Amino acid sequence: MVIATALYRGSHLVAGGAVVAQHQRDRLFPWLALVAAIAFTALIWFMAARHRRLVPWAVGLDVLVTGCLLPFGAYAWGGARAQESIAWVMLLGGSASAMAAVAFGARLLVVAVALLVATHLAGYLMVEADAAVTGAHLNALVFSAVVSWVLTWYLCRQGEQVDEANRRTLAAEAQRARFAERVAHHNALHDTVLATLTAIARGGVDANTSVMRERCAREAAYLRRLVEQADDRESASGVRAALEESVRAAEALGLRVTARYHEPPAVPGEIALAMARAATEALNNVRCHAGTGHAYLTAAGDSGRLIVTVVDRGRGFGTGSAGPRRSAAPEGSGGSEGSGGSARPVTGGIGLDRCVYARMRGVGGRAFVDSAPGEGVRVELRWPG
Amino acid sequence: MAGVITVAVVDDDRMLRDGIRSWFAGVEELRLVACAATVDELLAGPWEPPDVVLLDLMLRDDRPPADNIRRLRAAGSRVLMISVVADRDRIVSAISDGADGFLTKDHELSVLVEAVVEIAAGRTAHSPELAFALAYDRGSTRPRLSPQEREVLVGYASGLTLKATARRAGITVNTAKYYLDRVKAKYQEAGRPTYTKIDLATRVREDGWR
Repeated sequence: MVIATALYRGSHLVAGGAVVAQHQRDRLFPWLALVAAIAFTALIWFMAARHRRLVPWAVGLDVLVTGCLLPFGAYAWGGARAQESIAWVMLLGGSASAMAAVAFGARLLVVAVALLVATHLAGYLMVEADAAVTGAHLNALVFSAVVSWVLTWYLCRQGEQVDEANRRTLAAEAQRARFAERVAHHNALHDTVLATLTAIARGGVDANTSVMRERCAREAAYLRRLVEQADDRESASGVRAALEESVRAAEALGLRVTARYHEPPAVPGEIALAMARAATEALNNVRCHAGTGHAYLTAAGDSGRLIVTVVDRGRGFGTGSAGPRRSAAPEGSGGSEGSGGSARPVTGGIGLDRCVYARMRGVGGRAFVDSAPGEGVRVELRWPG
Repeated sequence: MAGVITVAVVDDDRMLRDGIRSWFAGVEELRLVACAATVDELLAGPWEPPDVVLLDLMLRDDRPPADNIRRLRAAGSRVLMISVVADRDRIVSAISDGADGFLTKDHELSVLVEAVVEIAAGRTAHSPELAFALAYDRGSTRPRLSPQEREVLVGYASGLTLKATARRAGITVNTAKYYLDRVKAKYQEAGRPTYTKIDLATRVREDGWR
């Protein structure tokens, strides 16, 4: 509607410019009036471009000056005494009322149109125009407002309907995601906790073997996370679901994982996936090289940045000549990542670094690996980097 | 210190109480003197107040946890909170209310014993789950932490050992532990009850405003 009214005003200005250039070239005021009208139109457009809608006060100013004052100015100083010579100024009132219909609420619009009608009626009476011309013009004034108001209303309603439809689609999608998560949990519960409890209840299984105890501990950890998730006020988050999958995969391979989440910021799906894959890599590394069966995973936000850590308390490795707080070096630079390992197999460190660094950098994130002999390994993944 | 630490368990899960009894039977430095389902039951018993009480975070009795903790403290015991799941808001409240530590029930015996020993000596039993709850506390009354305190807290909460946490922060293990203790102290400071106007006036004086 902003563009439509702008075009409407533009046509009036062109018409006005043509009249002035043809018939009133030697007079100063018509030129001034034209410049003033253009200036106010420019102001409205500028404000509209900035605020992405028509700004009421700018339109109001235009209604008052272009719509109401210019006709009198044209009469007083422009020497317009006939209806032909004042008509182009009057035309501008039409586009002013159209813009008012877009920018104003109902009450203000009625006031603006009434004001325009009154001043234009007075203007035409002063130049003693035909009743038919006056009537037609006033009619145009009113219906410029009516037509643009109806169009605005219609477009707004259409827009609201589209928004509503979008909202419903998003809600349905979230519902589907929740449902999928629930099914995943049901499957996991069925394969783990339920299977274990059923086996013990049936008898014939020694529940006090170390294998069984470890299995119970892992499955208890999974249930614990489920309960804690339900306790949290945060809604289902994609990153959490993706990381949970990594954790469960590691648990299925026999690693005990203590995972804690605190309102991880929402990130695009592919970022969540990359984070989860990097976390899987880090958990694998704990399982294969740390010499401990227990890993910690945390996910939290830090001023809008998603930070995931995978930590173990295993044997760790030396980080060579670098200082205590070594940060991520670019992949392959000197091949130093983890290769200074004393206790840890060299290949493990390099594999971890390559995969994790490359994955995180591929999506605009960063990875940090920190370790010391006997102090475990800490892998930090962050996005954005 | 007499050498042997007396311990009691308050938990409404009988299986857990039995499990702890058989667990502690083999530990020389601890003696389990009482098992009860509620704090009332424990306080009504014929025994001396134990040095440390393991108190379940989610007891299904009618008393608010804060009340339970205060009464145990008033009786002369120190309190280690234990729970199956790490309900963070309740952990934070329990610390504010005077508990000296928190552990989830999935730890190994050695961790539990170490926590009891720490608390009996008047220190704090730190755990990653407690650090995580404090580091990401969303409560409106949370105290202001210094950047160093926060760094140590977040590091320890991520699962690092205290030693690794200290190394990353460039400080000694003792300093790292001191920071963790100070965070707990800040919470207990903020958790002092203010019931009456006289209490409030005392608080204001304590805070050095007058």
